[in-house]
Amino acid sequence: MQRGCSPLKVKFFALLRDITGVKETTDFSGNILVELLEELCEHYGKDLTRWIFAPITGDDQERQLSGDIIIMVNGRAIEHLAGLATPLKEEDVVAIFPRLAGG
Amino acid sequence: MYGWVGQILRINLSDGTVKKEALDPVEAKNYMGARGLGTRLWLKECDPKLEPLSEDNNLIFMTGALTGTMATNAGRYNVVCKAPLTGAMAASNAGGYWGPELKYAGYDGIIFEGKAEKPVYLLINDDQVELRCAEHLWGKDVNETTDTLREEVDIDAKVACIGPGGEKLVKYACVMNDYTRAAGRSGVGAVMGFKNLKAIVVKGTGAVRVADPDAFFDALVKAREKVKNHPVTGQGLGMFGTQILINILDEAGGFPVNNFRDSGTFSGAEAISGETLAKTYLVRNKGCMGCSIGCGRIVNVPEGPYRSFGEGPEYEAGWSFGADCGIDDLAAIIKANNYCNELGVDPITLGSTIACAIELYEIGALTEKETGRPLAFGDAEAMVELTRMTALREGFGNELAEGSYRLASKYGHPELSMTCKKQEMAAYDPRALQGMGLNYATNNRGGCHVRGYMTAPEILGIPEKLDNLITDGKAQWTKIFQDLTAAVDSSGICLFLTFAIGAPEVAEQMTAATGFDYTVEEVMKVGERIWNMERLFNITNGFTKEDDTMPPRLLKEPVKVGPCKGAVNKLDVMLPEYYQLRGWDENGVPTTGKLEELGLQ
Repeated sequence: MQRGCSPLKVKFFALLRDITGVKETTDFSGNILVELLEELCEHYGKDLTRWIFAPITGDDQERQLSGDIIIMVNGRAIEHLAGLATPLKEEDVVAIFPRLAGG
Repeated sequence: MYGWVGQILRINLSDGTVKKEALDPVEAKNYMGARGLGTRLWLKECDPKLEPLSEDNNLIFMTGALTGTMATNAGRYNVVCKAPLTGAMAASNAGGYWGPELKYAGYDGIIFEGKAEKPVYLLINDDQVELRCAEHLWGKDVNETTDTLREEVDIDAKVACIGPGGEKLVKYACVMNDYTRAAGRSGVGAVMGFKNLKAIVVKGTGAVRVADPDAFFDALVKAREKVKNHPVTGQGLGMFGTQILINILDEAGGFPVNNFRDSGTFSGAEAISGETLAKTYLVRNKGCMGCSIGCGRIVNVPEGPYRSFGEGPEYEAGWSFGADCGIDDLAAIIKANNYCNELGVDPITLGSTIACAIELYEIGALTEKETGRPLAFGDAEAMVELTRMTALREGFGNELAEGSYRLASKYGHPELSMTCKKQEMAAYDPRALQGMGLNYATNNRGGCHVRGYMTAPEILGIPEKLDNLITDGKAQWTKIFQDLTAAVDSSGICLFLTFAIGAPEVAEQMTAATGFDYTVEEVMKVGERIWNMERLFNITNGFTKEDDTMPPRLLKEPVKVGPCKGAVNKLDVMLPEYYQLRGWDENGVPTTGKLEELGLQ
């Protein structure tokens, strides 16, 4: 990390906070989003994994996001970036929400 | 009839007569009920050019075909009249238990004509229908009124009433039912107050018959399964309420701040969020009749200057009294929201009007001479006190009671009113949500989020994720959302269901309940018919293409901070395509062909 740079920040919302026990963390990193998410899932366990990733049904199947999650990098939904391959750098903010709505 | 009970009440408040009339089955089929049918009945009998606060403005309470049945979350009804706030058609939607009770008493709806000489309330106890003196209730708030009437009539009776806001003709007064459910927008409560109608008390012992009970049961079980298994309707909304949206809109940069001047992120978002509410003042959640979601919030602020117990706030009130006024004090927001419930006024318009007043004060257009106190973004104590004063039309509150458009115009800056067609927008910045902006601009009742909720696809990814910052495809999606919502509103079920179900489930339940063959296409056609009917009312009433717009700030001043920094709304790109898709000419007037197709010629 360069001097003066903030570390990558991950923010959790709604009931994901009950799983992680924290609102945000700077303890994790990754070159691309999927690496970060896998690190998070390894640390926080299967309850978080179930929210973030779709179940793997075959040996050669790639990781896919669950339909129950909303992820933004710096406020942009990852669907409009590069999805799970979205590159990450220091100072980025990754926000993770369960699928939610209101009005 | 099936679904509908087949009878409406006509009450002439001027001469006190009560009539029972058969519901026209063809009109019922074509407009479903509630918003659609209520508007249709109003237009058949009233002049679109009439003054909203006049005896001739019929006030219609109308349920839908599914209201009161076992269909998914079928507790809704609409209050219909010409709106004091906007001059457009008002059809304000409420949940609770009152609508179903009206059907159990044997009526699909009530048409109020004329004006009572003195305050009255209407008592409906199955076949017994009578106007009674309400002078002892005048001046009482919603809770006191409801308590008194239930004790007086029947503890199990359901009460719809106005509070002091409606009595004092606040331009955006609500009709409240079951204490805290509101037909909230456009000022339907002011029309009720003008008519000297304090309340409608209903007790019903009947039932709603459905055409094909087996098919109906199958359809509702399927729909309920989807609602239960969806993360939004099955989990999130019940756990956190609608205020859960604050953090996501803030993260996405679409959260309006300080009268939309300093959008799109708010430093106090977390402090007023649904997550914080759940950990602090939330007592429990609450649902309406037959509801499996339970988005309502029972809240308690046990001590301090904002000590209060009540219900809410919703996301919109959390924003209007919060970020829009620069306030991050959740207890103050709850107190202001409780005032709105108890006194019967719309928190969206009220909070946004206070925000407008603060900006007018900051630029010197308003001074302490008019306001009676200094105004500043972030002053929670002032916001709470102004809320109370406005609902009671005390002091400067008398000016705020007219809404932000009239206030800003009077003091020389109409551009600072964050309204479309004189109704305040909700908690989504149209510069950050291009499609939501198109919906605000084209909405038949002005700045309204619930009749074309483009936030669903643009932020929440429902039913699929659209890029909030681009305009491509937004005209088509806006039309679909507007039409589907018009049908859902008219059927009598809750709009929140559409996070999990869509037109197919509405069609199945409507078909089994009514015996009429509603296909998916017919459901969407009913919605489109209602949308065009409302549009025709507006055109007759003098609205033009020039009214399909939004405050210049949103078209010209870029978002200042956050992920959407630099964005403005590109309405001019979307509007022509929207007109074309709607089958309207370049001036936004429905073509003869479109009207013939919809049976509106």
